[in-house]
Amino acid sequence: MTGVDGTHEQWLAQIDAELDGELSLVERAALAKHLATCSHCAGARASHLEVRVALARSAGNPHAFVVPRPAIRGGTLALWVILALATGLLGGWFADRRWGGPGGGATLEESRGTVVVQ
Amino acid sequence: MGLLSFSSVILALTALQGPGTRLTYRVRVIEPAVAPRVLASGAVSGPMDSDMRLTLRTDTAEVEALFEVTPTVGDTVTLGAEFYTRRQVGRSRRGLPLWEEDTYRRVVRFAWSDTARVYPFGVGPGPSARALRVELILEREFAGGEARAGERFELLDSTRDVRIEAVVRPRRARIILNLVRGDTVSGPRPMDLVLEEPPRVVQLVLKGRPTTLVVSLTRPDTPRSMRDRALALDADIVCLQVSQPAVLQPFGTICGRLNNVARRLPLPTGDTLAATFAWPGAR
Repeated sequence: MTGVDGTHEQWLAQIDAELDGELSLVERAALAKHLATCSHCAGARASHLEVRVALARSAGNPHAFVVPRPAIRGGTLALWVILALATGLLGGWFADRRWGGPGGGATLEESRGTVVVQ
Repeated sequence: MGLLSFSSVILALTALQGPGTRLTYRVRVIEPAVAPRVLASGAVSGPMDSDMRLTLRTDTAEVEALFEVTPTVGDTVTLGAEFYTRRQVGRSRRGLPLWEEDTYRRVVRFAWSDTARVYPFGVGPGPSARALRVELILEREFAGGEARAGERFELLDSTRDVRIEAVVRPRRARIILNLVRGDTVSGPRPMDLVLEEPPRVVQLVLKGRPTTLVVSLTRPDTPRSMRDRALALDADIVCLQVSQPAVLQPFGTICGRLNNVARRLPLPTGDTLAATFAWPGAR
């Protein structure tokens, strides 16, 4: 049973690779032969395809051949890093002004001695 | 008319500060619980220029204050207080206590025999509101020739660290001079010197050889430490300036408290001058 499941997992990985366009012709032929005899894997492939179509539609490209991978540009990454650092620094400075440093609590004048005449 | 009022002010101030007037600081240290409890009480008295030093210590704070009085015309008095405070504000990364130091001055004016409440730890919210307070009453009286300062203090709760002491700056001092060479010492030469008076000539004889010196008594330089300045910790320190007759350059200066401890100054002649400072005898 374990062996059958293991083989099945391998075919599912092959289906993912095929949909990503990463299989060679020989591997695609082997997968097609298996799909003709395994209704479970054929159903899984149909499900994967439907998910990818939905993803491509949500990305604004319903005619895509493969699911578009998110591309992270260097400038955008740098901008986000700078924004995160600036937010952290600003928050740290504000927290230090508000609660930071030893001797918190009363103000300096409140903690100083006072002489009151009755 | 203006001249008359000015003269009356001068006369009143002179009368208040006359030698027959004695100033008393009456002190009660009170813990403000549901039923306020007196932790300590006492009094410091002395001539009109006497000050009082108050010290309060807890695990996390130290308050030292020097109170001084300036009589004003009529029935009012101005009380000045120089505070020096240390508060523990946390611990360092190595686990050692971190303290902050603070110096400030408070001045109030009130009538003689009124009560001034001193809140040494402040009146702000938090733990200071539950801390101690000191009630202070100033009194003046005519006391004849009694010119010495006096202290009376009773600590009713020995777990508290509270202290009051009189601070009096000497106007004159008793100086005892000796010349020392090896194991030979000249006869003691006692003299009463008044601060900032013109220098006096003194002759000491050691092994039949006379040495003439010119001596004068001065106050020490202003202390460098903020705490020493604020609390007048140098109040009973005097300096003896020693020089040779007709020579501008002095041999040196000996400074010390009026505590009967001999202090030494090597002279170019090879002798050593030993000077002992003490409070002058009662007059």
